[in-house]
Amino acid sequence: MIVVGLWIATKRIDYTWRWNRIPQYFVYHDKDAKTSDVDGTVTSLVNIGNQTTVTVRSEDGDDSTYIIDTKTANLKVDEYLLEGDTVGSIAEWKAGPLSVGLWVTLWISAVASVIGLVIGVVTGLCRVSQNLTLRQLSITYIEIIRGTPLLVQLFIFYFFLGTVLDIGRIPSGIGALGIFAGAYVAEIIRAGIQSIPKGQMEAARSLGMNVPKAMVYIILPQAFKRTLPPLAGQFISLIKDSSLVSVIAITDLTKSGREVITSTFAVFEIWFVVAFLYLILTFSLSQVVAWVERRLAVSD
Amino acid sequence: MIKTVDLEKVFVVRDQEVRAVDGITTHIKSGEVVVVIGPSGSGKSTYLRCLNGLETLTAGHVHVDGIDLADRKTDMNKVRREVGMVFQQFNLFPHKTVLENLVLAQMKVRKRKRSEAEEKGRTLLKKVGISEKESSYPSQLSGGQQQRVAIARALAMEPKVMLFDEPTSALDPEMVGEVLEVMKQLAREGMTMVVVTHEMGFAREVADRVLFMDYGKLVEEGTPEHFFEEPKEERAKLFLRQVL
Repeated sequence: MIVVGLWIATKRIDYTWRWNRIPQYFVYHDKDAKTSDVDGTVTSLVNIGNQTTVTVRSEDGDDSTYIIDTKTANLKVDEYLLEGDTVGSIAEWKAGPLSVGLWVTLWISAVASVIGLVIGVVTGLCRVSQNLTLRQLSITYIEIIRGTPLLVQLFIFYFFLGTVLDIGRIPSGIGALGIFAGAYVAEIIRAGIQSIPKGQMEAARSLGMNVPKAMVYIILPQAFKRTLPPLAGQFISLIKDSSLVSVIAITDLTKSGREVITSTFAVFEIWFVVAFLYLILTFSLSQVVAWVERRLAVSD
Repeated sequence: MIKTVDLEKVFVVRDQEVRAVDGITTHIKSGEVVVVIGPSGSGKSTYLRCLNGLETLTAGHVHVDGIDLADRKTDMNKVRREVGMVFQQFNLFPHKTVLENLVLAQMKVRKRKRSEAEEKGRTLLKKVGISEKESSYPSQLSGGQQQRVAIARALAMEPKVMLFDEPTSALDPEMVGEVLEVMKQLAREGMTMVVVTHEMGFAREVADRVLFMDYGKLVEEGTPEHFFEEPKEERAKLFLRQVL
C-alpha cells in the first residue's frame, strides 16, 4: 500500500528514477595519465599481458618505471622525455564518493567508539568511586555533554577547540563524537557496575584483592556482559550521529550523498542508498554484538 | 590468633543509630573453633565481618595475628589474604568456571603460577568432593556444591583463619549436611574457625567455644556443654528454649 502510494506520488511529480546512474558512484573505471617525473631517456619497454612497463633513465642515471596500458604506449626505446611528458595512461577501478564516504563514516565511528568506550569506562568508574572530587567531576562532564546538542558540540569543537588547539576537522569531529558517546557510555557502565550484587565485591576483597583488581577481574567483566545490549544501542546511535560531522565539512557518507546529488539530481535514489548503507553498518554491528552475547552466555 | 577489644560498630539508618556490635572483647585462639549464635539482628554477622575488615570499625580494636585492623596504616589486603571467608550467599564469581574461581585470587594475590594454582585448586576440589565439576560454571551447581566450592576457594589462599557467615542458611535442607561435613573435617584438621550459624547440632558437636550475642552484646560465652546444658543468662535460656 505504502509503496504503491509512493509510486503514484512520484509519478504525479514527474520524477524520473535513474537507478542506473548510482553504481558509478561506488566504483568507476578511470584513465589515469602517467607523466614522467624526470628528464631522461626510455631504456626499455616490457609488455606483460596488455600492460607495458616503461623504464626511464634520468641524466643522473636513476631509473623510474611506469606501468601503463600497452595500447596507450606511443614510445620507442631511446626516446627522450622531459619532466611532465606523458608516458601513457592506465585504466583503473576507483572507489567512488559513496564508497569513500562509507569508509570515512565507518572508521570515524570506529575510532570515536573506542574513544567513547575508554572515556565511558573511566568516567563510569569515577562515578561510582568513593572520592567525592572524582564523582563530582564525572557528574559535571556527563551533565554538560548530555545537556547540550551534539550539533552544537561539534561546532564548538571545530570552530573553538579546532582553532585554539589547531587540530584539523577530522580529529575535531572524532573527538566530539567520542566525548559525546563517552557520557552515555559512562552512565551505562555505572548502571552495570551497580547492578552487580555487593557480595561479589566483598568476596573479591575477602580473598585479599584490592579494589582495582576486584574491578578488573570480577566486577567489570560481569558488568560488561550485562551492559552489552545498551552499549550496542549506544554505538549504533554513534554510527548514525556521525552523519552530523558532515556539517563541519568531513566527507562522510552523508556529505558524499549530498555531493553526488548536486551532480546527478537523483535526490530520491541517493538518499535511499545512503540510508541503506547506514543500515548495513548498524545491522552488522548488531550481529557482532549478538554473537558476542551468545559467546558470553555460556556461564548462564 | 584474633583478639577483639571493646569492638563497636554503629550504623546510622535514617538518622537512627543502630549499635550492631556493642563492645565485644574476646580472644580466639589458634586452632580453636568458635561458634557465634544468637537471634536475628543480634549483630553476629556484623561482628564476623569486622574480623576481616569488611566493615569499618566504629571503635575498639581487632588484632589479627598481632596486626591491628583499626590502625589506618594497616594494609587490609594483606590481612584479608590470611583470613578466609565463606558467605551465606556463596558469592562465587558467576563468569568463571569452578576451577577459575579457585585459581584467580591465588594468581592475582598470592602471585602463584597458573600450573601451581590449578594443582592446588584441584586438590581442594577433591577434598570438598566435587573434582568432577571443575569446568562447570557456578550456575550449573546446586547450592550445596556452590558452598563447597566457596569453601575451597577460601582455602586455596591458605588462610590462617576461616570465617563462616551462616554458610548453610541459604541451602535446601538436604544440602546442609554435605557443607557441614566439609566444615567438620576442617575443624578436625585443626583450622581456626569462627562460625556464625543457626545449626545448633554443629555448634554442640564441633565448637570449642560458643559465643551468644544479643543486641550487639556478648551475653554469654563458654564451652558447648556449658552453654547448651546450663546457661547462666536468662536471655540465653529463652533463646535455647525457642530453638531447641
